[in-house]
Amino acid sequence: MTAPHNPRFAWLTDPGDRGLAIMLLAPLALLVTLIVVYPVLRLFYTSLFDHSLTSGLPPRFVGLQNFGLMLDDPTFWTTLKNTLLITLVTVPGALIMGLAMALMANMPFKYHWPVRLSLLIPWALPLAFAGLIFAWFFHSEYGVVNDILRRFGFQPVIWFNSPGWSMTAICLTVIWKTSSFMALILLAGLQTIPRSLYEAADVDGAGKLRQFWEITLPLLRPAIAVALIFRTITALQTFDIPYTMTAGGPGGSTATLAMYIHQNTVSFLDLGYGSALAVVMFLLSMLVTVLYLRMIRARG
Amino acid sequence: MKHLSLAALAAMGALASPALADADLRIFISSQHQPDVWRQVLDRFEQATPGVSVEIETGGNTSEAQAQYLNTLMSAQDPSLDVMILDVVRPAQFAAAGWTLPIEDVDMAQYLPAYAEANTVNGKVVALPAFADAMFLYYRTDLLEKHGVAVPTTWDELREAAKTILAAEGDDSLQGLSFQGKPIEGTVCTFLLPYWSLGENLVEDGALTLDEPAAIASMQLWKSFAEDGTSKPNISEVATDDTRKEFQAGDAVFAVNWSYAWAQAQSDESAVKGNVGVARLPAMEGGQQASCLGGWEWGVSAYSEHPAEATALVKYLSSPDVAEFMAVNGALLPAFPQVYEDAEVLAAAPWFADAKQVVETARARPVTPRYAEVSEVIRTTLNAVLAGVSTPEEGVAAIQSRLARVLR
Amino acid sequence: MADSPIFGLLSGRPLRLIVAAILLINGLFPALWILLTSLKTDAELTRTPITWLPHAPTLSNYATAFSDQPLHLFLFNSFMVALLSTVLTLFVSVLAAYAIARLNLRYRGVILSAIVAVSTFPLVTLLVPLFETMRALSLLNTWAALILPYAVLSLPVCTLILVSFFETIPRDLENAAMIDGCTRIGALFRIVVPLAAPGVFTAGILAFVNAWDEFLLALSFNSSPQLRTLPVGIQMYQGEFTFPWPVISAALIVGIVPVAILIVIFQERVVAGLTTGGVKG
Repeated sequence: MTAPHNPRFAWLTDPGDRGLAIMLLAPLALLVTLIVVYPVLRLFYTSLFDHSLTSGLPPRFVGLQNFGLMLDDPTFWTTLKNTLLITLVTVPGALIMGLAMALMANMPFKYHWPVRLSLLIPWALPLAFAGLIFAWFFHSEYGVVNDILRRFGFQPVIWFNSPGWSMTAICLTVIWKTSSFMALILLAGLQTIPRSLYEAADVDGAGKLRQFWEITLPLLRPAIAVALIFRTITALQTFDIPYTMTAGGPGGSTATLAMYIHQNTVSFLDLGYGSALAVVMFLLSMLVTVLYLRMIRARG
Repeated sequence: MKHLSLAALAAMGALASPALADADLRIFISSQHQPDVWRQVLDRFEQATPGVSVEIETGGNTSEAQAQYLNTLMSAQDPSLDVMILDVVRPAQFAAAGWTLPIEDVDMAQYLPAYAEANTVNGKVVALPAFADAMFLYYRTDLLEKHGVAVPTTWDELREAAKTILAAEGDDSLQGLSFQGKPIEGTVCTFLLPYWSLGENLVEDGALTLDEPAAIASMQLWKSFAEDGTSKPNISEVATDDTRKEFQAGDAVFAVNWSYAWAQAQSDESAVKGNVGVARLPAMEGGQQASCLGGWEWGVSAYSEHPAEATALVKYLSSPDVAEFMAVNGALLPAFPQVYEDAEVLAAAPWFADAKQVVETARARPVTPRYAEVSEVIRTTLNAVLAGVSTPEEGVAAIQSRLARVLR
Repeated sequence: MADSPIFGLLSGRPLRLIVAAILLINGLFPALWILLTSLKTDAELTRTPITWLPHAPTLSNYATAFSDQPLHLFLFNSFMVALLSTVLTLFVSVLAAYAIARLNLRYRGVILSAIVAVSTFPLVTLLVPLFETMRALSLLNTWAALILPYAVLSLPVCTLILVSFFETIPRDLENAAMIDGCTRIGALFRIVVPLAAPGVFTAGILAFVNAWDEFLLALSFNSSPQLRTLPVGIQMYQGEFTFPWPVISAALIVGIVPVAILIVIFQERVVAGLTTGGVKG
């Protein structure tokens, strides 16, 4: 009880709103500055230099030249195209799968835990594990996918021999891995919808399908929005799964922008160009975030 | 083990002439290179140099993973490692980036010429050989004998031999030739083997010297193997160990592989034990047989806090005695020509007698600081051709334009 | 339409069982397949046509998984790093979320947007600058090198979940506590956090799994064998050329089982927590 009498330290025990806000937000600000802000600034700075460790030369300021090089770099465009393709396929794919799984899991089962476990396992499985496991699944000779195709009388597919099939395998894996988190968020959303709304609809004679369109989906919208933001951003950063499944093959047709950034910085040691690519990816992610935030705000 | 001690200790005395200070060294050895056997060698070093201790760090079990790890470490100028093992394609890059210290007073003529070359950049010795390796043609002695087929010396002979044997055996699971088509480092060698055999070089003095007809011929050759049934249609997803497994399971007449596959093919678990032959890889029609040089080197980190001790260690590790010890106890091919004739080595690994000629005539992949990019371009392009994504002509045009940018 | 046969069936027991089967196969088959693979010998694995059930089930792959690599250390490291980063991220995000939910911050919108923005930055691009930072702080090859970035990785989502949880707690309770002589921070930890326990718990689980999953930083920052985490350790079974699938599968199963047990115990609370919290974002 002594501190309040000392005016110099009074704010420590009973700070005003402003002082309290600073105290409470300081740890977050500190961590974020150390782990994100400072490295990001470093990145923007490095992107303006010709800084290749294999050249044996010191870094040289070149302005926006690295970004100019990108325009002429076919690999940049291919990896950008692949990244956008994966995003456009797996985000709606995971949403539909996740919604279906959430609706199924929301049914009145006698025992909930096996269903919940089956939703949570894919989510808790490290991406690097998932890539390895599915690479084994899709193996043309020893893989279980082709074995099942054979048993049903279909021609087995040499998955990683063609760009189309490789991309299909990757997208299926990404959807499998990510739809479970989607389902979790949507399941949580489903459980906030009061049962009384459905009971009332039953009384009015509205069919299940109409109930889905007119009650479930609109009330689920906030949950869907949250799930979509996180999913889209992680889709833009797709790395582990194609990295472990195809390493970008065949012929670079499944390499993503994140893999190209990693390759330029860690393998080619072209830090300037790698940083410039990273800046582009950063801006792309920011753009998506801003668009979503706008959309959410517009809808109230 | 006894030969390791006396001679080596004497050598150590000479090497260690600038008195070594007390130091705790840390050495990076990739986990696939038998760190437990190297440990025995390091124990000897510790005994001979009181005050110096050596700790092993293992990791990065593929060449790519290891390069990524060391690249991250070195670009942060991390002093935690003193000595590191490097794939033969990397010393040039490490030297250019200033990550390894030049090593002085070494007679490079004692090594096989290809290793002297791979470890010398601009007249400076930037690393020393740990052990040698090369690509071999593995074949089934029983099948060749049964069908009266000679060991092929050209790829066309191999194609005919495979055809004869496959037709006569009528076994659906048997394939003629297994090689690597996945976009991995081994696939760079796949491309270079026929290309080199036509007498062409890819890089000379740091400049690109791509011969387009030879490059197209190489790509067409591999593509034709996949198309005419000599190899499996899924060749673009075959990695090095798939080849090893297929051959070991008795599912391939011929296989292109590194030396590690020998011990496994001759093990008790192998279906082809006792029926394995190795030979030089075939050439293109009218060309010279060529193999692809492998092997690993020891480099001294430029950020080491104990450069003198680390250098002494590397010189010790790259000595004929250690090479002999590793040949006997680790089945690693020596980088010294005379060790191949050593009685004790030949008793432990009789097939080294056949291996010597292959290693001696193996050629080094391009020595350039930007090898990582050269490798990436070649392997993804050949992989794309094998997968039917692009034609050999398109592939070679892509290599030409992309490498011209890299090696400008 | 109202009672179409398909939707009518949805309430029936047989269909519930079919639905449950679909969910179980989708979620658990990959893990089950890996379990079966882990019981096979290398020779059986490369047999065509492939076998589903192991012909001669063997546990030797598990023995190899533990003897080839310090698998128990990988588990311990993964667990401790995930746990400690979860504690850190919860502590930091509880403070921040309270400030955002309770104080009339002038720049509330800006702070929230900034927090979302943090989650958008691709980790892969931070590799080199972060490595340099960790080296400068002498944190390489320590748990802290991973705990700090992992905590940041989960900060945005944890903060957002906690903000919406705190907003559901009546201010009166806090005010009552403060009248009784509690400071505001005291009230936060004595009243608000316990009341928001389901949310704290959910946020904690999310943070734990995020940390448990991470591969790239773990690979680059903690190279010493004693400090490897599970996703990195698993890669160590793979040789330069070899890929011992049965042993890798055994190690994968060892990595999956503890998390599966945690999930079975806590599944109710994960979903319940998300229900009240995250979705209102």
